[in-house]
Amino acid sequence: MIKVTDLKKTYPGKVPVHALKGVSFEIPSGQFVAIMGPSGSGKSTLLHQLALLDKPTSGQILLDGIDISGLSQGKATDFRLRYLGYVFQEYALIPELNAIENAFLPLMLLGMNRKEFIRVSTELMGRVGLVDRLHHLISELSGGEQQRVAIARALVNKSKILFADEPCANLDTENKGIVLRLLRKLCNDLGQTILMVTHEPEQREFADRVLWFRDGRLVKEEYIGKDVQEDAIHNGYRTDVSSSEK
Amino acid sequence: MWNDLQAALFLFYKYVTRGNKGTSVLTVLVATLAFLQINLISGIFSGALGLIYDQTKNNYVGNIVVQPGKDQWGNKEEYIKQVTELKRKINAIPGIIGCSSRYTIGSVIEYHPDKTGKDIRTVSWPVKSIDPEDEKRISGLHNNMLAGQYLDESDRDQIVMGREISGGYGASLEVQSLKGINIGDEVTIFYHNGTTRKYTLKGIYATAFPLADMNAFVTQKEMESVLGMRDRASEIIIRTDDAYPEAYYIQELRKAGVELPDIRPWQDFIGLVLGLAQTFDIIKRIVLFIGLVVAGVTIFIVIFIATISRKKQIGIMKAIGMKEGIIVASYIMLSLFYAVVGIGIGLAVLEFVATPYFIAHPLDFPVGKTSLLIVRGEVATSIICMLAVSIIAGFIPSWRVSRENIIKAIWG
Repeated sequence: MIKVTDLKKTYPGKVPVHALKGVSFEIPSGQFVAIMGPSGSGKSTLLHQLALLDKPTSGQILLDGIDISGLSQGKATDFRLRYLGYVFQEYALIPELNAIENAFLPLMLLGMNRKEFIRVSTELMGRVGLVDRLHHLISELSGGEQQRVAIARALVNKSKILFADEPCANLDTENKGIVLRLLRKLCNDLGQTILMVTHEPEQREFADRVLWFRDGRLVKEEYIGKDVQEDAIHNGYRTDVSSSEK
Repeated sequence: MWNDLQAALFLFYKYVTRGNKGTSVLTVLVATLAFLQINLISGIFSGALGLIYDQTKNNYVGNIVVQPGKDQWGNKEEYIKQVTELKRKINAIPGIIGCSSRYTIGSVIEYHPDKTGKDIRTVSWPVKSIDPEDEKRISGLHNNMLAGQYLDESDRDQIVMGREISGGYGASLEVQSLKGINIGDEVTIFYHNGTTRKYTLKGIYATAFPLADMNAFVTQKEMESVLGMRDRASEIIIRTDDAYPEAYYIQELRKAGVELPDIRPWQDFIGLVLGLAQTFDIIKRIVLFIGLVVAGVTIFIVIFIATISRKKQIGIMKAIGMKEGIIVASYIMLSLFYAVVGIGIGLAVLEFVATPYFIAHPLDFPVGKTSLLIVRGEVATSIICMLAVSIIAGFIPSWRVSRENIIKAIWG
């Protein structure tokens, strides 16, 4: 469970920018949350603070009761490795590594033995539908496939929370559908907690809940009905995971 | 720690095997050229100095020179006494190849190239005496005859000159020479003790070492008759087997009872050349410095561009929980890889290409022909310096980029 209390972030400068102006909310484990709002509303800034990529100016972030907002740089790095997963807007993979090498990198950093991390990452690559692309270089994968490798990498450490910052921003319609269904499936099947930033309203229908931001404040919460969710899974972006894989 | 090293090695391996091959080849090439530049120039200088040192030992003063001591009033004596006994003691020391005693006396040498007496050529040089057989064991004089013949023990009215005194034969000090005396011509020598003798030129030698070619030699017996003394010498030249430094043999000489205070190594007689050696050493250091800067800057630029172009990736690696140290270590390994491969190829070129080439085509120096002299210690120093420079060149750019804020690194 994530509990955020009065989170503020100000970027200093000649004219300080107050990106987050006291945000509070709770997210139970296993929930798929979409964070929405116009540009400059503070949604990416919020994700950076929650994922420990940046330090909040003030406020508290509790993850399963542990305050992670004040961790030192070294401890924050270790925490990200062990408990968090992050999917970036662009296909943030290492081009010198092939698909499975990108996926197992966190496990190698955790010190898992080679045989084991290959087994775990292969299994996860199968789950994201890329078992036949394990040894392809990143340049040989489509945008959607690259984003699925990034999802596999974010989940390979059995992360408590998966953060996704506009994961479909650079994808075509078909691949958007593939990635969103995959995230939904991970939430349903594995009970994965997911926080996804998006600015496309259709994408929120794959989530359980939507947090609307404006000018650095949480202005509205919305829960997505099961029927809307089901409809999005079956008809959203007019494709199907299995058919596209074929 | 082991996990971090393993991850750094993994990234490094992938950078090498899947990175830009052209960049790797060019960087290794620059490292190789820098290494070769350092060691080839150093090897040529060392070869030239080695040649001068060898010439000094072979044709000038041997390894060690024993000179007269001081009398009871502290004045330097003119001659060493009881030379036969001293030479027996010297030759009995293990590692001594041989020794030869010489008399040296100032003189004026006069040469009349024609019978008219109008052209009189006069030079002022010291004349030395040698025991021709002893001399064969300590110098290469007998092997360096340009014209005529070497002295025999029984020769009394014969003289041998270096080309710097005889003139001709490409001598470098023509102005101070007899300007081209021929074998069989007669010279008159006015010794400083008042004795005057006539000699026939028996041979002209050239060692290519000007200091050694500025001598005129008569036999020991002839000089003893000129000076009217026996069993004495102005100096004793000693050759060793070079197994130990001269200081060791000087110590052995003293232990063996050669108690003269003035026993000096060959280095004491070539102050000018040693000054040249110091200059060569400075040039070698400059070349080493320039080579290291070239290699270091090249590797720095390559790693700098690699880290700047991978800035976003480095941010992402940090975002997924990779420590800065792993990222820095992977780039240091990459930088070391360029240096190690460059050094390896450079060593192979030195060993299998450059050295055989210079042996087949020696460089023609004014003091003789020389090939490369690869000094292991100098090569080791250049390797250590190149590795150290490559570590710095890998560390600085990767450390700077890896310390950047994750968000800034990813989004620019």
